[in-house]
Amino acid sequence: MLKLIKLEENPNVLIVNRINNYEDPKEIYIPIINKQTFKLNDYVFKNTYFGNFISSISGTISGSKKILFKNNYISALKITNDFKENIKVKTRKKEINNIEELKITLKKYFLNDIYAKLDINKIKNLVITSVDEEIYSLNEFIILTNYYNEILETIERLLNILGLKKGVLAIKNTNVSSIKNVKSILGTYPKIELNLLPDKYLISNKIFLSKFLNLDIENTVYLSSQDIYNIYLSCFKGKNIDEKIITISGDAIEKSLIINTKLGVWGKELVKKFIKIIDNDYEIFINGYLNGVKVQKLEDIIITPDIDTIIINKKSKELATTCINCGACLKICPVDINVQKCFLKQLSHKKCIGCGLCNYVCPAKLPLKETVKREENES
Amino acid sequence: MKVKSVKKLVLENIFLLVPLIIYGIYKNGYLIYEKGYISLVNIFKPLFLVIIALIIKLIIDLVKYKKINIDYNLVYAILIAMIMPYNVNWLVFIIGFTISYLLSLFLEKYFKFNKVCFIYLIIILINGLLNEFSFANILEAKYNYSFSFWDLLIGRNIGGISSSSIFFSLLAYIILCYNFYYKKDIPLFINISYLLLAIIYFIFTHNNNFLLNSELIFGSIFVASLPEFSPVKRNKIIFYSIVIGIISFGLTIFISSPISIYLAIFIVSLFLNIRLDKKQQNKS
Repeated sequence: MLKLIKLEENPNVLIVNRINNYEDPKEIYIPIINKQTFKLNDYVFKNTYFGNFISSISGTISGSKKILFKNNYISALKITNDFKENIKVKTRKKEINNIEELKITLKKYFLNDIYAKLDINKIKNLVITSVDEEIYSLNEFIILTNYYNEILETIERLLNILGLKKGVLAIKNTNVSSIKNVKSILGTYPKIELNLLPDKYLISNKIFLSKFLNLDIENTVYLSSQDIYNIYLSCFKGKNIDEKIITISGDAIEKSLIINTKLGVWGKELVKKFIKIIDNDYEIFINGYLNGVKVQKLEDIIITPDIDTIIINKKSKELATTCINCGACLKICPVDINVQKCFLKQLSHKKCIGCGLCNYVCPAKLPLKETVKREENES
Repeated sequence: MKVKSVKKLVLENIFLLVPLIIYGIYKNGYLIYEKGYISLVNIFKPLFLVIIALIIKLIIDLVKYKKINIDYNLVYAILIAMIMPYNVNWLVFIIGFTISYLLSLFLEKYFKFNKVCFIYLIIILINGLLNEFSFANILEAKYNYSFSFWDLLIGRNIGGISSSSIFFSLLAYIILCYNFYYKKDIPLFINISYLLLAIIYFIFTHNNNFLLNSELIFGSIFVASLPEFSPVKRNKIIFYSIVIGIISFGLTIFISSPISIYLAIFIVSLFLNIRLDKKQQNKS
């Protein structure tokens, strides 16, 4: 039996179930990972690749700034939008018919995460999860709701290219509208099997999903509906992925929204444009309140492909006390780590999946996850 | 699953103790007052003991930490006042509680033991050395009662001043079982192991005095399962509980039942040595 729970939702956080578009940012930022040199006032065409990152606008390089990317502060180029959408290379192959072409396209257009997940040599099962792991995010929900036709079509095509007999589309059983939509056209795609998941935290995590679906984790590829939609755009429509659907939510803001934004947009600009902060004593989390990363300032954030959710929550007034030895962290841990022991001995644990459930249940509000999930070299 | 803070857990625990205190006032106050053995004020002795224990705890908090903490020490103070015998001397309780509470705060840096049992045993020891006392209240000492099963269930038996009601203890246990943070296996295994031994003893001796033990039920539900002094891993919890059940039954044959259960919990908690590394905790 899976040791998963349903999280308590904050009734003050209601996400407006509609996509808002942000297509004309004044400026964007491109993280510079390789040692590339750029001159001030150089012109940048839209869809120019800088390493793994794409310029989602056309304009001139007007400076640089330190930004937070994957927990590290790195330099980013500032590109000021000229609002002309000038594109240098306009033609791209739109149809992918075999595995090799698929691999080449994914690699060429820097869909690296998907490329890494699609280990084509080992793949025996394909599972598409349209489940938002974070309770304050509706990205997967909105993508499936709006693009279920495209997603099912892409899954079917992928199954044909990969030579698989069957693929699973997993949706939470509470997502009634999507279930209805998918069921209405599922008959057209005989290879796709719809699987309904219980409304529990971490059910979309591949460790638990493979147990739930009774699949071998090693031979199964897990993709999200956002991944599938990106494959659809990149491999079957010949478009570059220069936009990203993200959710900005939390109880320190007036309205939680889903925004389709250009990549590279400055977090502060995005929040200023769409969000009204109602409590200035807030804290920010990227990609999840429980399993995400806490960020000091909105100024540090730029929208990169790895960002799914920005949570702006009122600062918790509860202070950490000492451990009361209740054992709740041990009882809740889905991978059975002795969290209390690790915390008291200040040890990290390689089995930790960083789900944050230990922090969630701890009555003493101790930073358990931060201790147990540290990188090996930190412990 | 409801997520709770320490403060909430403490307040919930205290809330569950209130019916038992009220029953204590009825049994060890009102019923005796009705027969004309005590004055009106003395009806509230169970409540006064709780208030005194809380005041001492709060004063120590104010002196030591310069603020009042809503922590598990509040529950410990209330529990100690509740399990006191009816005949406890006021002065002995005040002085004994203060000294043993301070001593436990000092000793807990070096040993891990059940603070409630430690303070209780010290007060009982001092009281025993200074006075001749029994757990029976004035009425119980004066008359010979033949308690039926229902009497015992409601709590008319001899025991702690506010801890004799099996009914309210079990009611609290049922509520606590819905609390994710409560170690519900502890009372279960203590009572099962104790009851098995009591049944075996009954088969051989035909002595049924040990079959229903209100103090054991109260002690196992509220004292043995206190999070700070009990293990967290399930196999250790089972071991801890069974050993408490066995030792408390063994001791009950020789010494009075309220003392035996708390002595058993104290011994097991001390020897199990569930030591939390305070240094590491402070770092956090």
